[in-house]
Amino acid sequence: MDEQFDDSEIGRLLRLKRHEQPPPGYFEDFLHEFHRRQRDELLRQPLWQIALNRAHDFMMGLNVHRLASYPAAVAAVLICAAVISLKIYEAPQSSELAQSTPVISAQPVSSDNETWDLAPASVTSATRVASLQPPIHFSNVSTHRTATPPRYVLDSKPVSYESTLRF
Amino acid sequence: MNAVLAPPRRISDLLSSGLGATVKKRRAMDQRDEDQQLVARTQDGEASAFDQLVVKYTPRLYGLVYNMTSNHEDTNDLLQDIFAKAYKSIRGFRGKSSFYTWIHSIAVNMTLNFLKKRGRRFHMSLDDVDASIQNDKEFLEVTQTSSPVREADLSELQRRLNEAMMKLSDEHRAVVTMFHIQGMPHAEISKILNVSEGTVRSRLFYANRQLQNYLDEFRKNPVA
Repeated sequence: MDEQFDDSEIGRLLRLKRHEQPPPGYFEDFLHEFHRRQRDELLRQPLWQIALNRAHDFMMGLNVHRLASYPAAVAAVLICAAVISLKIYEAPQSSELAQSTPVISAQPVSSDNETWDLAPASVTSATRVASLQPPIHFSNVSTHRTATPPRYVLDSKPVSYESTLRF
Repeated sequence: MNAVLAPPRRISDLLSSGLGATVKKRRAMDQRDEDQQLVARTQDGEASAFDQLVVKYTPRLYGLVYNMTSNHEDTNDLLQDIFAKAYKSIRGFRGKSSFYTWIHSIAVNMTLNFLKKRGRRFHMSLDDVDASIQNDKEFLEVTQTSSPVREADLSELQRRLNEAMMKLSDEHRAVVTMFHIQGMPHAEISKILNVSEGTVRSRLFYANRQLQNYLDEFRKNPVA
C-alpha cells in the first residue's frame, strides 16, 4: 500500500477527463446560440457604433491597414503636409510686408539730417520696427532722386537724370 | 495464391512505425491548409466559413476551457466570447501561426483573465462522463491496475481529479490541461502561452508534484 502515483499514472488519470462531456446536444446547439448572441449584440449597439464598425470594415476591405505598417512613409507624408500648409499660411504675410516698405528701401542709406524716433514701450513690436526707420523729408534731401516722385510710365522723350552729372 | 496477398495492416501498426509519423505530419498539414482556406474565406466576408471553424473547434476548446474552469456555465459563456472575439479579430490574422495555435491562444488568455476576475468564487459543476469511457483503453488500464482507482467509483474519481486540478494555480492548470488532457506537445504549449519550452516543462514538473501529493491522500483514504 506504499505505492505512489507516479507521473505516468497521473497522466493516465488526467487523460480520463477527456471523457467529461457537456449535456447531450450541446455542441449541436452551440452554433445557433452563437448566432443568436451575435444578433443580440448587434441590436444592442447604438447606431453610431454600427456605422463606425461598417466604416472600419470598409477601410479594412481596402487594405488601408497596410499603410500602418509603413510608419516612416506615413510620417513623411504628414511632415510634407505640415510644411506645405505652413508655407501657404505664411505667403500673405510676406506680401503685406513687401507692400508696406517699398519707398523706404528705395531711399539713400544715410543722411545727416535724419532723426531717429524711438517709439514708446507701449507700442507693439511691429509698430516699433516701422518707427525705427529714419523719417523721410523730401525737401531736405539733397539728392535729385528723392525730389522726383517715381515714374512708371515711359515718356516719349525720356527724362535724363544724368544731365547734372558732368565730368 | 495466399502467399502473394500481403497481410492487412492495422492503422495502429502504421502509426507506431515511422510511416505513422509521416501520416500524422501529412494530416496536420492538410488540416492547416483546410483551416487557412476557411480563414481566407471568412476574411473575404463569408460567414459560413467561420461557422465551419466554430463547429470544428468547439469540442476541443470546450475541453480546454472546462478543465481550466471546472464549471459548465462559465465554459459556455467563455466559449461564446472566445469565438466572438476571434470573429472580430480574424481580419487581422496574418497566418504567422496556425489558426489552431491562434484560437487556442485567445482561449487560454481569455480564460486566465476570467479566472483572475472570478477568484475563488465558483462552484464546481461536473459534466456527464461519456458512456464510451467504459470501453476506453486508458480507462480499463487505470481501473484494472490502480487499486485506489479501482476502489472508488467513477464519479468519485472525477470529483477527486477536479479538486486536484483546482488546487493548482491558473497557469499550472493551463499547462496540465494542455499537456495531459489535450495531449499537446511542449512546443505547441509554449507557442500558445508565449513562454519558453523550459518554462512549460518546469510548470509541468511542479504541477505533477502537487497533483501527486493530493492524489496520494486520496490513495490513503479513498472514500473520504
